[in-house]
Formats: sequence, structure tokens, C-alpha cells
Amino acid sequence: MKKIQVKLSKDQFQKLFLSTVGFIVLVYVYFSFFLGPLNSSRDTTLAQIDDLQGKVANSKNELTKTAKLEKQAETATTQFAALKALSPEGAPIAWFPPRMKAFFANQDIDKASARLESNSPYKEADLANWTRYAWVIELPQADFSTLGKAVAALENGEPLLSITRIDIKALTEDPQFQQVTLNASTAMVKR
Amino acid sequence: MALHLNLLHEEISQQRQRQRDPLKIGMMVLGALGALMLLYYLWNAYKVLEIRNRLSQAQHDWAKAEPKVTAAQKRATELNGIISTTKVLDGMIEGRFFWAPFLEKLSRCVAPNAQLTALNGIVQDDGRISVSVEGLAAGREPRAAAEELRQLLLEQLTQGYHDVKVEFKALEDLDTIVNIGGSNQNMARFGLNVVFSTNAAKASATPGPRRNR
Repeated sequence: MKKIQVKLSKDQFQKLFLSTVGFIVLVYVYFSFFLGPLNSSRDTTLAQIDDLQGKVANSKNELTKTAKLEKQAETATTQFAALKALSPEGAPIAWFPPRMKAFFANQDIDKASARLESNSPYKEADLANWTRYAWVIELPQADFSTLGKAVAALENGEPLLSITRIDIKALTEDPQFQQVTLNASTAMVKR
Repeated sequence: MALHLNLLHEEISQQRQRQRDPLKIGMMVLGALGALMLLYYLWNAYKVLEIRNRLSQAQHDWAKAEPKVTAAQKRATELNGIISTTKVLDGMIEGRFFWAPFLEKLSRCVAPNAQLTALNGIVQDDGRISVSVEGLAAGREPRAAAEELRQLLLEQLTQGYHDVKVEFKALEDLDTIVNIGGSNQNMARFGLNVVFSTNAAKASATPGPRRNR
């Protein structure tokens, strides 16, 4: 085997050393300032793409879910709208007493009056937009049978009204009639 | 053997030396490596550009879908709110005590020789109903007439409600004599405490025809 002896002069050694240093610098610059940022940018972009694609895929699920929920909530929505419609615009004290007066007048009970006793918010979080109103409805002269029918009609016609107390007293001067006081609470939408 | 003279020996050795120059070789190697690295960099840059195009496509898709999703999420929240509110309101509606059927039952229990003078009913916080009834009973045995009313009321209420208790809070004879159907009869004043609950049975709010009071 032929042995090749390469003898490097001092000048050549310096040049070789410089070349090695240049190579190292080149590799460092290449990876740190060119390929590194490029790869990092690629990784970030890929992560963003994954994120967005995930969001888009989820959005399809979300839309399907909402459509299903819409179908399921159809009855509840109708019922909710009906219950909400029981509270007209305006302050309840402005429309509830006349409504009661008209209601009892239709039931052949005259001179009915209603006054607001108190109002308070509900403790339930689901009823944050609703307020409880306590009313005192006075019927100074009512026949028992008519009263019974009127109370039934009231309880059926006003689903959000609940009679909490009933007080009936016979009129001494006219025993056919009774003096009636109803304490009722109603749930009404905050307007 | 012919004499072979190399007159260019010096020149050739210099040329060889130039060719073996480590700096030159190093520069060539560096150049080659640099070219390879540049090519690799350009290839990567091309791929990154491609990925960025995919990103812009994905962003475009998301920009199209986002308003719909936001609206859907808002609607879903609203619907869930409606459902839960309706549920609570339904519970309130179903949990009400209907007084009309009670008044109907009470009216059925009052015989012609009895008269109710006062009634006070309250729906208590625990859902139990407490009613206080006052009245007058007439007859040869007015206390028996009052007892008859109590028992009839107990029987009637047991049919529709639970844990029914009908108890006298007062029962006293009166000195007053009343004429019913042409015959004089004694009178008694009574007071009844009625307590019951509706937990297991729900009555419907449809009163029947009045019989008597």
C-alpha cells in the first residue's frame, strides 16, 4: 500500500483552520438563522392549520347539535312564548288590576279589585328574567257557586298565577253572598 | 534506456501544490455543502409556502364558518335557557294548588241544615294546605250534624288528597233556636281545622255544580 504523506506548511495549516472555522460558522448560521426559523414557522403554521381544521370540524358538529336542539326545543319554545305573552308590555301594576277586574266582571262578580302587595326576584337562576308579584284580589260580594267557577277559570286561564291564600266570609246582611279575599302570586317577565 | 528529462518539474510540482491547496479544497467543499444546504433550504421554503397556502385556505374556511358557529352557539345557549326556564315554570304551574276543586268538594259536604260562615285557606311553604272552616249546624242534635259534615268532608277530601286531617277546633251549642222547614231546631257553632297535602295526587281545576252552602 502506498502511503501518502501530506505535509502541511504553516500557511496551509492556517488556511485549513480558517476553512474549518468558516464551515462551523456556515453551519451555525444556516441552522440558526435560516433552517431553524423556517422549521419553526412551518411547525407553527401546521399547528394553526390543525387548530383551524379542528374548529371547522367542530363547527359542523355544533351546527348539527343546534339544529337538533332547535327541533327538541320546539315545544318548549312555543310554551315559553305563550307564557311570556301572558305578561304584556308595561308595569304589571298598570295592567294586572284592570285585567282582574275585567276577568271577574266576565264571571258575574262585580266590584273586584286587585292591589299589589309586593314583588321580588326569584332565587332560581333560570328565572333571572322573571319577577314574582304578590297580589291581593278582593271580591266584596260574590256568590259561592259563581266564585268557584271563577276561581276555576282563573286557575285554568292564568297558568302562572297561584292562589296562596283564600279568605271567604259570609256577609251578615246578605248571607247569599260572601266577601272574598284572594292572595295570589304571579310570575311575570321583566320588561 | 532513453534518458528522460523533465524540464517542467518545478512548474508541474507548483501546479500540483496549487491543486492540493487545503484552502482551495476546503472552499470547494464548503461551496458544495453550501449549495446543498441552499437547495435543502429552498426545498423547505417551498414546502413552508405550500403549508402557508393551506393555512390561508383553512383561515378562509374558518372565516366562512365562524359567524354561523357563533350564531349557533348563541342560539344553543338561548335554547338551553328557554328549556330550563320553561322546565322551572312548568314545575311551578304543575305544583300549584287548585282551590276550585277543593271548594267544589267542600260545597258537596254542606247539608241543608249547615251553613259555613267563614273559610280561610292557606298554602303553606311545605306544600301542605291548611284550611280553617267556621259554620253553624242546626237540628235536633246540632253537634251530630256538625260531626256529619266533618266526616263527609274527611271522606271527600281523602279521595283527592293525602294525609287528610279534619278536626274540630271548636264545637259549642248556641242558645238560638232556628226554624227550618217549620220545625224549631237547636243550633251549634263549629270550627274545623283541615290539613292535607297534594304531593301524590294532583287535582284538576274543574268545579262541579254547586249543591249547597
